[in-house]
Amino acid sequence: MTTHSKIRCSLRRFGLVGGIAIAAVFAGPTSAHKDPVKQEQLKIYQEVFMEEVRKGDLLFHGDQKMAEQLGVADDLSKTGMACAMCHPMASDTHPQSFPKFQAQIAKFATLRDMINWCIEKPNQGVKIDPESEAMKALEAYITWSNTGSVLQPGKF
Amino acid sequence: MSDELDRIRREMHSVLQPEGARPDDSLKITRRTFIHGSLLFGAATVSQAFAWWPLLNTLDIAHAAETPFKFAWISDTHLYPRSLNTRFVDKVVRAAQEVQAMDPPADFLIFGGDLAQLGKIEELELGVDLLKEVKIPKHYIPGEHDWYLDMGKKWGELFGQPNWTFDHKGVRFIGLDTVSRGPDYWTAKNMTPEERMGHMATLDGTVAGPWAGVGRDQLDWMEKTLADWDKQRPVVIFSHNPLYEYYPPWNFWVRDWREVHEVLKPYAKVTNIHGHVHQVLYNEIGTLRSIGMLATSWPWPYAPEGLPKLTKPMIRVDPGDPYDGVGWSKIDVAANDQLETEYIMWGRKEVFVQSPEDHDKHVSEVIRPRIADNMWPF
Repeated sequence: MTTHSKIRCSLRRFGLVGGIAIAAVFAGPTSAHKDPVKQEQLKIYQEVFMEEVRKGDLLFHGDQKMAEQLGVADDLSKTGMACAMCHPMASDTHPQSFPKFQAQIAKFATLRDMINWCIEKPNQGVKIDPESEAMKALEAYITWSNTGSVLQPGKF
Repeated sequence: MSDELDRIRREMHSVLQPEGARPDDSLKITRRTFIHGSLLFGAATVSQAFAWWPLLNTLDIAHAAETPFKFAWISDTHLYPRSLNTRFVDKVVRAAQEVQAMDPPADFLIFGGDLAQLGKIEELELGVDLLKEVKIPKHYIPGEHDWYLDMGKKWGELFGQPNWTFDHKGVRFIGLDTVSRGPDYWTAKNMTPEERMGHMATLDGTVAGPWAGVGRDQLDWMEKTLADWDKQRPVVIFSHNPLYEYYPPWNFWVRDWREVHEVLKPYAKVTNIHGHVHQVLYNEIGTLRSIGMLATSWPWPYAPEGLPKLTKPMIRVDPGDPYDGVGWSKIDVAANDQLETEYIMWGRKEVFVQSPEDHDKHVSEVIRPRIADNMWPF
């Protein structure tokens, strides 16, 4: 094989792999690639999201059953306090300001870092896994509740 | 503030207040007058937050007290059983000790509601026990957290009638019950008392609805109670909820506030001191002046809209310090016809915001109600 044909071959391979990757990014799961987006799909995506929002809402408001279901019942609070007691409607959580330097933690922090700080300090609980469904649900609820707020990353 | 709420307030003002009149035309502005924040930081950034405010730290209101006296206010202790939460207990102990140590002593203490968190007998009795440290006369009004487990049964056994009145050194004091007349959201759903209490105890819940109100019967009682009182003499009304519309989704109002103002309209010197909001608040509508008090338990952020323009906001607090943003209040009724309210906010020399960054609303915020507890319509 000549040098020329080797290059053509690699370009063809790149084109194929890159195309799939781009299609995956824009079209979602590979099973749906290249198909136009359908309303039913969007509905399903939204339902998946809203189910996490619902779970997060319950966790945020101290719902014991949901905390047990997600395996964090012993962790979120040991004082009776729930997130919503200081943050009705998730106000004053400012998810739109993260990531930022968080003074209380004295480090550059994400919303998940701050959620864990609140669990540990005001609630006197135990940090939860930042990759856990409980954390993602809390994040989903907090960000959903602040829908419409303007992004101000880094703002104190 | 929404245009609609702004319109309603202006309409009430025009109905209740003659042009140019203030709630009390002998309001004394002292040397502690706050330098208007907009002059310091620019009106465009936080113009609503830095609206006109007469005083720094204190309010002076002309009252015709026969002799000077002080009284104290504690509210929103939200006690859990001692075994679950000791921080809330510690803060009540501190407030009670500080009230008892006032020199000269206060004539009486007002407890402004939400002694308990979930209305349990154990929680209410713990509160009574902790407040035994205060030896001066004590007067209690209920909060919703005290009431909806047993519909006020234990509260009544401990403290008696939830609304009351007494005269003290030339001032008529009235305690109102603004919590017990909530619409029945529990019977149709066969809720247990604990479930009923749980919904009531969730400030941003959607189930308990607009529960805060005075009620026609109590309005009639208040009208009758004031009938023999000179309309130029001072009246101080204590209530758990504010007696105007600030933010109904959190029951930062009483739903019949218009009727309340109709009853109070003839009286020139009316001051309402209220709890429930866990934040510094000040408002004037017609001839009624309203002052919101701190909780001892935890502070609340200002609501997303409706903050009275006359409120100079309290400072943004440190969530890592359980003693920040909370406390109690001293009210001083002086011989030179002043009623002065002082917020005792633990851990802070400055109660009010000093810069835009000190305000909890300095970051843009649009928030929406929760969804997971929706259960209406039937």
